[in-house]
Amino acid sequence: MLKKSSQSYRFWQSTALLLSGGAALGLLSFICFRLHVNSTTVGLLFLIVVVLVSLRASLLSAALVAIIAYFCLDYFFTAPLFTLGMNQALDYVAPIAYLLIAVVITRLMQRVRKFQEDQKRAEETLRKSQAELAHVRRVMTMGELAASIAHEINQPLSAIVNNGSACLRWLAGDAPNLLEVQEAARRIVRDGNRAAEVITRIRGFLRKTDTEKSRLDINQTIREIVTVIEREAVESGIEVRMDLAPDIPQVLGDRVQLQQVVLNLLMNGVEAMAPITERPRELLISTRKHETDRVLVTVRDSGMGIDLESLEKLFDAFYTTKPNGMGMGLAISRSIVEDHGGELWAVTNAGSGATFQFTLSQQR
Amino acid sequence: MQDEQAMVFVVDDDESVRESLESLIRSAGLRVAAFSSAREFLASPRDDVTSCLVLDLRLPGQNGLDLQKRMTELSIQIPIVFITGHGDIPTSVRAIKAGAVEFLTKPFRDQDLLDAIHQAIERHETVRQHQAEMAEMLHKYELLTPREREVMELVVSGLLNKQVAAELSVSNVTVKVHRRQVMQKMGAGSLAELVKMSEKLRTSPTRSL
Repeated sequence: MLKKSSQSYRFWQSTALLLSGGAALGLLSFICFRLHVNSTTVGLLFLIVVVLVSLRASLLSAALVAIIAYFCLDYFFTAPLFTLGMNQALDYVAPIAYLLIAVVITRLMQRVRKFQEDQKRAEETLRKSQAELAHVRRVMTMGELAASIAHEINQPLSAIVNNGSACLRWLAGDAPNLLEVQEAARRIVRDGNRAAEVITRIRGFLRKTDTEKSRLDINQTIREIVTVIEREAVESGIEVRMDLAPDIPQVLGDRVQLQQVVLNLLMNGVEAMAPITERPRELLISTRKHETDRVLVTVRDSGMGIDLESLEKLFDAFYTTKPNGMGMGLAISRSIVEDHGGELWAVTNAGSGATFQFTLSQQR
Repeated sequence: MQDEQAMVFVVDDDESVRESLESLIRSAGLRVAAFSSAREFLASPRDDVTSCLVLDLRLPGQNGLDLQKRMTELSIQIPIVFITGHGDIPTSVRAIKAGAVEFLTKPFRDQDLLDAIHQAIERHETVRQHQAEMAEMLHKYELLTPREREVMELVVSGLLNKQVAAELSVSNVTVKVHRRQVMQKMGAGSLAELVKMSEKLRTSPTRSL
C-alpha cells in the first residue's frame, strides 16, 4: 500500500514538474524575445531549466521538457525565425544536448534515490534487530539467573542431604557416635541458613535492580513487543491482530517487566496454536479502559484451550503442560502483574482457545 | 577387607559439601582426605594404598575433567567418582569414556555414592594387584642372564631344544641347562606358563622383550 501511494506521488510530482517546466520555458521565451537576447544565451538558459526539471522529474517528463525547450529555441530564436528546421549548428547541438542531459541526470538521480532508500531500510532493519537483541538478552539474563540460583541453592541442599545421611549412619549400630551426629546436625543447621540467605539475597537483588516504574503508554509498550514475535508468528502460520483502544489512561509500570508478561502470554498463545490445523490460527491482543482508572489487556488465542483441572493450577510455579516447559512463565507473570497492583487471570473461550487478561492501574 | 586401609580422596571447592562428604564417607568406615582444589590434591603426598577419588566436576581453575586428564598424563591410576550440580549428558559421557567409575548428580543417595566408592576401590585393588604381579615378573626377568633371555625367547616362540641349540650354535645339553634355569628363575611350572609370562612382559609398557 505504501509503495502504491509513493508511486502515485511520484507520478503527480513529475506531471507538475512537466507543466511548470513548460510554463518556465514559455515565460523565458517571451521575456528573452522582447529583450532580444541572443540565441546562445537563450540556449544556455533553457539548459538550466532542463537540468532543474531533470533533478526531480521522471525520465519521460524530463525528455518532454527537453523537446519543448528545443522547439521554443528553434522557433523563436534561431534564424530563420518562426520556422522549425535544421538550419544552424545550434539546431543540431541543442536537442542532442538537452535530451542527453535529461537522460543522464534523471538516471543519476534515480540511482541516488535508490541508494538513499536502501540505506534507510538498512538502518531500519538494524534498529529493529538491535531492539530484538536487547529483548533476547533480557530473557537470557533471566535464564542465567535461574541457573545460578539453582546452583547456589543446590550446594547447601546436597550438603544437608549428605549430613542427614551421615547422621543416620552414625546413629545406626550398637555404639552410635554421638559426637559425629552432633557435628553433622550442626552443619545441617548452618547449611540450611546458608540456603535461606541465598534466597533473601536474590529477593533483594530482584527488588532493587529490576523494577523501574514510570508512566507509560501501554499501547506503545505492546506494539514494541509484538514486533518481536511477529516473524515467528508468521512462520507458524499465525495471524497476529492488535486492537488497541486509543482513549486509555497511561499506567505506572516497568516497561521491560510488562513486556515480559505480554511476550510470555503471546508465546503461550503461539505454542497453544501449533497443533491446530482445522481452524484459523489467530492471536488477538487488545487494550480497553477498565472501571474508571484502570486498563485491561487481553490476549486471546484460538488454540487448544485449557481444561478445568489445569485452569486451577495454571499460575502455580513449576506447573506446566509443555514437554520442555519449566512452569515458571505464568507464575512469574502473575507476580509481576500483582507487583504492579493488578490482576492476571485466564478464561476458556466460548468457541475455542483461551484468553488471558490482566489489569493495570495508574498508580500503585 | 581391603576397605580397612583404603583411602578416599575428596576434591570439592564448596566447604559445606566437602565437610558433609567427609562425614558421610567416614561413617562408612573409610579413611578420608579432602581438598578444595585440583592443585592442592596433586601437590599433597599420597600413600601408596588402595584409594579412590570423589571429584566435583565444577572447580575453580582446573575443573574435574582437566584433573582427570592430568592424572592420566601423570599415570596416577586412582579411579574417579564424579559428582556434579548439573549433570549434562555429553559431559558425563566424556568422563565415563575417560575411565570414570560413576557420575552422580547432587544431591545423590548416600548408598549410591558409597556403592560407587566401593566399586572404585575394588577397581583400584585389581589394578594394584596387576601392577604388583607385573613388577615381580619384571624383577625376575631382570635376574636372567643375556643368554638365558635368548633361550627363553626362542623356546616360547615354539622351537624345540634341538632347534634352539642350532640357532645359538651350542650343544643340546647346554640349552637344556639354560632352559631349566629360566623356568626356575621365572617360577614357571610349565612351558605354557612361561609363554603366558612372556606375553604379559611383551605388553608391559616399561619393558619390551
